[in-house]
Amino acid sequence: MNSAPALAQIDPSSTGRGLSLTALWTLYSFSLRQHRHGKRWIIMAALMLLPAGLALLVRNTAHNVPGVALEFVFAFMFIPQALLPLVALIYASGMIQDEQEEQTITYLLIRPIPKWALYVMKLLATLTVAVVLTVVFTSLTYAVIYWGADNHGQNILLRCLKASSIHATAVAAYCCLFGLMSLMAKRILIVGILYIAIFEGLFANLAFGIRLLTVIYYTRLIAYRTLPFIVSTPFGTQDFAAEAWQLDVRNDPKLLEHPQFGTCLIVLFVSSLVLTALAAFICSRREFYVKTAEKG
Amino acid sequence: MPIFDQGYQHWSGQMSGRAWRWLAVTRQGIRGGLKNRFLRYVLFAAWVPALALVLMLCMWGLLERRSSLASTFIQYMSLLQPGVVADPQHYRADIWRLSYGYFLQIELRFSMVLILLVGPNLISQDLRFNALPLYFSRPLRRIDYFLGKLGVILAFLGMVVIVPSIVAYVLGLLFSLDITIVRDTFAILLASVAYGLIIAFSAGLLILALSAMSRNSRYVALCWVAIWLISGIVGTVLQAVDSQQRRYAYYSQISVARPNGRDFDNLPRAERDKQWRAYRQAREKATEEYRIAELGFSAHDWRPLVSYTANLSRLGQQLLGTDQTWKKLSLLDPDQNARDLLLATYMGPQYPWYWSAGVLTGLFGLSACVLNLSVKSLDRLK
Amino acid sequence: MCSEPFGKIAGPAEVRPIVAFHEVSKWYGNVIGLNKLTIQIPAGVTGLLGPNGAGKSTLLQLATGQLYPSQGTVRVLGQPVWNNPSLNRCIGLCPEQDAFYEWMTGWDFLYTSARLGGLSRPDARDATGRTLDAVGMTTHKGRAIRGYSKGMRQRIKIAQALVHGPQVLFLDEPMAGTDPVARRALMDIIQRLGSEGKSVVVSSHVLHEVQSLTPNIILLNRGRLLAEGQVRQIRDLIDKHPHHIVLVCDASRKLASRLVSWDDVEGIRMLPGGKALMVETRSPDAFYGRLPQLSFEDGTEIKEVYSDDDNLEAVFKYLVNK
Repeated sequence: MNSAPALAQIDPSSTGRGLSLTALWTLYSFSLRQHRHGKRWIIMAALMLLPAGLALLVRNTAHNVPGVALEFVFAFMFIPQALLPLVALIYASGMIQDEQEEQTITYLLIRPIPKWALYVMKLLATLTVAVVLTVVFTSLTYAVIYWGADNHGQNILLRCLKASSIHATAVAAYCCLFGLMSLMAKRILIVGILYIAIFEGLFANLAFGIRLLTVIYYTRLIAYRTLPFIVSTPFGTQDFAAEAWQLDVRNDPKLLEHPQFGTCLIVLFVSSLVLTALAAFICSRREFYVKTAEKG
Repeated sequence: MPIFDQGYQHWSGQMSGRAWRWLAVTRQGIRGGLKNRFLRYVLFAAWVPALALVLMLCMWGLLERRSSLASTFIQYMSLLQPGVVADPQHYRADIWRLSYGYFLQIELRFSMVLILLVGPNLISQDLRFNALPLYFSRPLRRIDYFLGKLGVILAFLGMVVIVPSIVAYVLGLLFSLDITIVRDTFAILLASVAYGLIIAFSAGLLILALSAMSRNSRYVALCWVAIWLISGIVGTVLQAVDSQQRRYAYYSQISVARPNGRDFDNLPRAERDKQWRAYRQAREKATEEYRIAELGFSAHDWRPLVSYTANLSRLGQQLLGTDQTWKKLSLLDPDQNARDLLLATYMGPQYPWYWSAGVLTGLFGLSACVLNLSVKSLDRLK
Repeated sequence: MCSEPFGKIAGPAEVRPIVAFHEVSKWYGNVIGLNKLTIQIPAGVTGLLGPNGAGKSTLLQLATGQLYPSQGTVRVLGQPVWNNPSLNRCIGLCPEQDAFYEWMTGWDFLYTSARLGGLSRPDARDATGRTLDAVGMTTHKGRAIRGYSKGMRQRIKIAQALVHGPQVLFLDEPMAGTDPVARRALMDIIQRLGSEGKSVVVSSHVLHEVQSLTPNIILLNRGRLLAEGQVRQIRDLIDKHPHHIVLVCDASRKLASRLVSWDDVEGIRMLPGGKALMVETRSPDAFYGRLPQLSFEDGTEIKEVYSDDDNLEAVFKYLVNK
């Protein structure tokens, strides 16, 4: 018989030492390292380089294209409509699912970190990486569009700053959304792509109330209210944004029927928090099957 | 009564030939793919355009036999001019060509979705779970493995492109009851089958190469989405920016100025309306001239080459010969301007088809190289 | 750490189970992993045994709070495990799957595990160094895990379970896939942990390895508890099956003719070779007691006496084939 000493029962009230900030910080920095490691960030960077590359190509092949037009097409159509949701989908969907598929999530679950905190720290690390990528490549796109071009008196640095902030807010909202979806859907990539194509791609372009449920709608409103996209054409001055985004500026020049700038920010921020809280709650109640396959 | 050994017994029968070993890999891949519920839904949805194609061909066959059922149906197709409906046999091949053309355009999209569902797992899962030694420790060569995996893509794409094309053709023949239809339309069947095979081989090898580059099928799927959708968006953006500039150049030549300003607002209503009408007419004329000129410009436009699906579409357009069909149909209109406008509206890109063939061949070669480098034989596996 | 006073200690100082399962069932869809399991694992080294699919990993995952029981309760150190992350300070798990952050070095992995356990930087550094020493991985600490052999990977896995100084260790098939030398090293580590006062639950389907580690075993089969306790005690309780005792002797037939007259001998079988025989008896102690006298009286030289089934494998076979 083993001669180990007898153990007394530990008083339950004495073991609750609360959240360890050390553990949380370690998890956050470890998740950042995970993102940095591997080829994923290279693929994301290549994807985010597309707008800058395209802008360079257009500037070299089609002359006299106004900078504002290029800015609108690449920085406010291409990036928020296609790239930001994709980047957020890839990063956020893999937060927990990658760990589960690689079977390394066990090493995190057996630490004294609540599951909801595990999710929140992973999300924070994902947000950090996604926002940094977004800001860097948005700035690069602006640099490519306006380098050596006539600014027509515009403050490009300010426009770039505003655009980067808007994109960062959007990508953060997408990350929170797809993070929640990844806990609810097994085939998150298919669901995410369908969501991007149907919700953000189709419904957001319809002048119906359903677009209030999309991230891109609020992103566009914030962009419209903070950055003018007026270009001189043979037709006279043309408001690119209003035409492309189905905003009836002729009858409602101040867009009073649409949420204001502050409201848009609050909606995006609050909905991100709500989605995160919901996902953290689901994570805290969830079992993570490592050996046996999940149901369905 | 003899007692038989229940243990392992060596197979002493005939072994299947080496040429068919890839089929085992294909069968296993198809079985695995069909377990995916989404895939079954997409397969089901992909057959809906096939039903529409069958309906169109059958109706045309009935129209040739002057059936009243077909006449009722055809009157809802506003695209068809009276001259075409009046002589259905003369325009039979053209209508078949256009019907197949639209069908294959839709099925091209479904094919991309099918590949997204089936393709990423094909090799990446074998890499992730280290199944390659299990394959290559059997008398299976790398080429058998690649053919087997490619066979999975061929099977699924064949189900939505080639099989419906053949079934629609046979049903169209049956509803026509005219033996000359084979002479007129057999080339269309061959072209659609060839196009289906081109899509399957090109896209199949490409997705296999992507799948061989990563152990995580999610990133493979993302790369596929990038190639399929993002390249399409990039191509469209490049074309749009370029054509917009030319459009502005045409509009800047409008001799009638845009009515605006206080002087215009002070004019009587009749005069204002007259000036607006004149401006709109000038603008419409400029638009028509621009659209007609775009057709000529598209003969030199390289921008669509950026889009993977546009390259496939261009080859399909060339194989089916839909451009000749539109030219023939345009002759029904006596007005030259109207003819040019019809061609500008309906004809596809006019750049040389061999540009697209070159791009696709280059991608094919690159995919083959990547596969060769990524999937090593047993003695070279880590 | 958990070996230090962890706050107020309640109740009388008596021996309590480390792990307690009460009427626990766990099913995965239609497949039942554990079926109404009630068990109390005491302090010390305990072997958890069963064939593949018996429910060993399910039991360990329930005990470490990774899974929630479909029925019943699971308590470790007197506390419920599910959603009780602070209890993880006292628990260490060496999981079965061979999964790592392959890009990390051994040191990096352990240090991060220590920091995730809430240790400060200096404490984590000390603990990492000590643990690497304990598992014999100090010389390989700077190499990426992807370059480790199977034995090294298992040692690092055990190390991450130990680095935060837990009181209770769960080791899920720690010796799977290792060579005999590595296996011996791992067994030494486990024995040392037991002697240091840690409670260790080792799961395995390799019976002789567990037998050499501890006499305390829990036997599972198809999600049910077959038996628990010491091997010998379990063997004694299986009164349906007589003991098999092998006698090696040159005059085996002569010996057999004498033994067949004993009342407690239920059967005798001559073993191939003609130099040994196997006796079935329900009273092994009495049989052993009379054997020397028989040899003396008869002048029959008995070269060797051993029991063929006083081991885990025999116990297991009886219980599983019941």
